[in-house]
Amino acid sequence: MIMAVNRWLATGNYFTTYKQEQRIFQTNLDRTVFIAFLMVVFTWPLFFDVSSKYMLVVDNILIAIIAVIGLNLLTGFAGLISIGHAAFVGVGAYTLASFSRVLGDSHVLITHAWPLMLLISGGVGAVIGAFVGLPALRLKHLYLAIATLSFQMIFLWIINFSTFFNQGQTIFIGRAYWLTGQVARDDHYLFWYYVMLVIVVMCGFGVRNLIRTRYGRCLVAVRDNDRAADAMGMHPGLTKVYAFALAGFFAGVAGALHAYLFRGVGFESFTLGHSITYLAMAIVGGLGTLVGSFFGPTAIYMLDLKVENVAEYAGTIFSETMNLATGLRPLTFGLIIVLFLMFEPRGIANWWRISRSYFKLWPFRF
Amino acid sequence: MSYFLQLVVSGIVVGSIYALSALGFVLIYKSSRVLNIAHGQLIATGAFITYALAVWAGIHIALAFFLSLIITFFIAMSVERVFLRRLIGEPIISVIMVTIGLMSILDGLIYLTPFGTLNFSFPEFLPTTPIRLGGVSISWTQLVGVIITTILIGGFSWFFRKSTLGISMRAVSDDQLASMSIGISIPRVFGLAWAAAGFSAAAAGTIIGNITGLNFETLQAFGITVFPVVILGGLDSIIGAVVAGIIMGLIQQFAAGYLDGHWGLHGTASLLPYIILLVILLFKPHGLFGIHEIERV
Repeated sequence: MIMAVNRWLATGNYFTTYKQEQRIFQTNLDRTVFIAFLMVVFTWPLFFDVSSKYMLVVDNILIAIIAVIGLNLLTGFAGLISIGHAAFVGVGAYTLASFSRVLGDSHVLITHAWPLMLLISGGVGAVIGAFVGLPALRLKHLYLAIATLSFQMIFLWIINFSTFFNQGQTIFIGRAYWLTGQVARDDHYLFWYYVMLVIVVMCGFGVRNLIRTRYGRCLVAVRDNDRAADAMGMHPGLTKVYAFALAGFFAGVAGALHAYLFRGVGFESFTLGHSITYLAMAIVGGLGTLVGSFFGPTAIYMLDLKVENVAEYAGTIFSETMNLATGLRPLTFGLIIVLFLMFEPRGIANWWRISRSYFKLWPFRF
Repeated sequence: MSYFLQLVVSGIVVGSIYALSALGFVLIYKSSRVLNIAHGQLIATGAFITYALAVWAGIHIALAFFLSLIITFFIAMSVERVFLRRLIGEPIISVIMVTIGLMSILDGLIYLTPFGTLNFSFPEFLPTTPIRLGGVSISWTQLVGVIITTILIGGFSWFFRKSTLGISMRAVSDDQLASMSIGISIPRVFGLAWAAAGFSAAAAGTIIGNITGLNFETLQAFGITVFPVVILGGLDSIIGAVVAGIIMGLIQQFAAGYLDGHWGLHGTASLLPYIILLVILLFKPHGLFGIHEIERV
């Protein structure tokens, strides 16, 4: 018997078809809450006067979210560890930088056609990602982790030793234009906040949709058992290369946004340490979940602010030469990675799941 | 010709250090299938402990070296006990990521000490005039480094061939279930593998520190250059690690000697290993001596 279900107050699992189960929003309540949340996110800068220091942090979080969505596709859904994600982000940023080097930093293409630039950077990221992922045609994840690590080293070498990329020194990017003319200095962070927000929402829906298509299910199947996936007619190698290309695309877009936001590109934002930070974000957020890609960067950046405060405070006590901030940051990130892996391998997304189901099933416990 | 010979000699010196660093890495991989990303940090830790004992505590350098080997042995063992023991049986991906976290933790701890930012160098305890043989010169520190490396590698291969513990470690790497059934304690073997890796890492670190000076970035970089070496040699082969280490040292020296400065190239020595790595991954992923695992469904 099919019960009549009120799509506003549904508490249990009433799915009768697979199609129902795969809906993006399971109930009307979900959708309403989501729309309300989006409205809050889009309108809050109008009501609060945020200092550009904190707006910059928010923008950084959004960039990291885009990059981590890509990393999560690769590491969480496809099960391939990437220790070179910052290099993929760097590929995007340096694609933009090469345009700036060839055409000049305020060429129309860079300042006016920035959406096109973002897409091109993403595309280049995807191509390079697929290239680095090529060993996946023959190899398992252990070796791929090493391939990405070596890509990180090669990338840094190319940036640091070629004069075209200014040997890693800053390459400037011009101010972007919007319909109303050049974006003013005061509005810079706010403008990019809105741009990134739109991109993040698009990425979120894109990935959510991808995961419920044939290709998305392929990724998960190959992660769980590649031999079984092979037997069912999928091509594990190509699927992995495809995952690398996707991750490269998201990273490329994030890199171009990073370049626009800071109005310059330098090698120091794309080091091995940053790659590990991205990985930490993905793990803390929850590997293999979409919401995790949002929680992870937010949590890590919040933590980073706290660590900075602690380091500043401790710096007043120990007036020694030792640099507390450079030490405390990797220490906390490392501890966070290890502790989450040992005690909550499913990340913050799991807490989110638990609290959601608590409210959904209330007043029943189970 | 003497330029060539000089490059060969320094290549062998660097290569033998690579071999020693790679040895520890391979030990861990061979017994527990864990890629230890934090190996460079272990190397640095060993070197810094030797320095702290020799200079700050004023112990004789030979004794300090020996003590540092022992201390790092126990540090690595406790790392395994605290972080990795409870992950036995978890998917390999999370174990690798734990070592990435570990790398970050050790980085942070080292940055909190003076070693993270400042440069130190060991006191001179050997004659400073290099030995000259024809047109080739080799410094005493390099010579002693190579000798210690050879002794250690010889010792390790004896350990794996003849001693009961070594044989049981090889058994575990071959088949965990079978070795459990004949009474080998697998956690103990894993712990020992990490401890032995720490031991060899400390030795490598101290030797590097003697030759190049103590700089955290340099020491840590050895941990990452280990990857091309072990991939070239085959991830699970000890002989492979030694041979590939020396090959890699030679390649680097030749690159620095013949490629740099021509055609606008600089610093090729730090790039070439990774290019070799990618090429090997594409065409011969099991390296020179690695075991080609055949999967049967």
